[in-house]
Amino acid sequence: MNEVILDCLGEACPVPLVKAQNKIAEMNIGDILIVQIDHSCAMKNLPEWARKDGHNVEVEEVDDGEWEVIIEKLK
Amino acid sequence: MAEQSSLASRRSSSSASRRKPKKNQIPIGVALVIIIVAIGIYLGTKSGQLALYWTLGISFGVILQKGRFCFTASMRDPYLTGGTSLTRAVLIAFAIATIGFAAIKYGYQSMGLPMPGMSYVAPVSLGTVFGAFIFGIGMVIAGGCASGTLMRVGEGFHMQILSLLFFIIGSLWGAHDFGWWKLNVISKGKEVFLPDVFGWAGALFVQLTIIVLLYIAAEKYEEKRKAQ
Repeated sequence: MNEVILDCLGEACPVPLVKAQNKIAEMNIGDILIVQIDHSCAMKNLPEWARKDGHNVEVEEVDDGEWEVIIEKLK
Repeated sequence: MAEQSSLASRRSSSSASRRKPKKNQIPIGVALVIIIVAIGIYLGTKSGQLALYWTLGISFGVILQKGRFCFTASMRDPYLTGGTSLTRAVLIAFAIATIGFAAIKYGYQSMGLPMPGMSYVAPVSLGTVFGAFIFGIGMVIAGGCASGTLMRVGEGFHMQILSLLFFIIGSLWGAHDFGWWKLNVISKGKEVFLPDVFGWAGALFVQLTIIVLLYIAAEKYEEKRKAQ
């Protein structure tokens, strides 16, 4: 099981979303992608897209205004 | 929830160890509320209208931030993620605003008073279409429309201070040349005020029908994208 950390700190949406979409496409099933974001808008559309795409998603607030979106690729 | 918590614990790189202890923001929040109320009371002694603008502006900002309401995302996410939840939220907001503004304007007209906000009934021309198009490109690149950029600068997102800077430069430039545009492009268009065309009930009906149709289209589109 691979774990990939994607640093999107300082990137405005939709950049984190597009990066995550590209990254997850090249990953294997069961891999975990951790996207680090500090843009509140990406906190909404990133989990929304990942859940809709059928992955396991969890959001952790690591600091004030800084989040890690943990996505487990399921398909 | 059990499945969710296992996801965080299964990850190999632990963020808990390098996590800084969060600062308690409640005292700052309380102080800020007191300052906001104090400024509001001070503005109220100068003019009631200023206090109203202050209150409405702050409320709008709080709703925008807490609701994660984003006009940019409402137009962009259908394409990017296939999600139309924000698109539909904007449509609902338009529907409520339609009813509210119709009620206010109709109320003034039926009392024989001049209708407020009629200066916003601007001529429609190809310039409207073109302007909307370049605004759309700009807001996707900048990561937010006007209100969204202001809200995120307030949140402390540094990159969008750059957006704000160019937003101000663009606004000033636009204001500087607005006279020319108005004379040569905008005034060539036709002013349309729907109640003049369809009557009050008709205008309300036409506008709400279009919004409902767009809402249904957004829902159908989301279902279609999900099925793919």
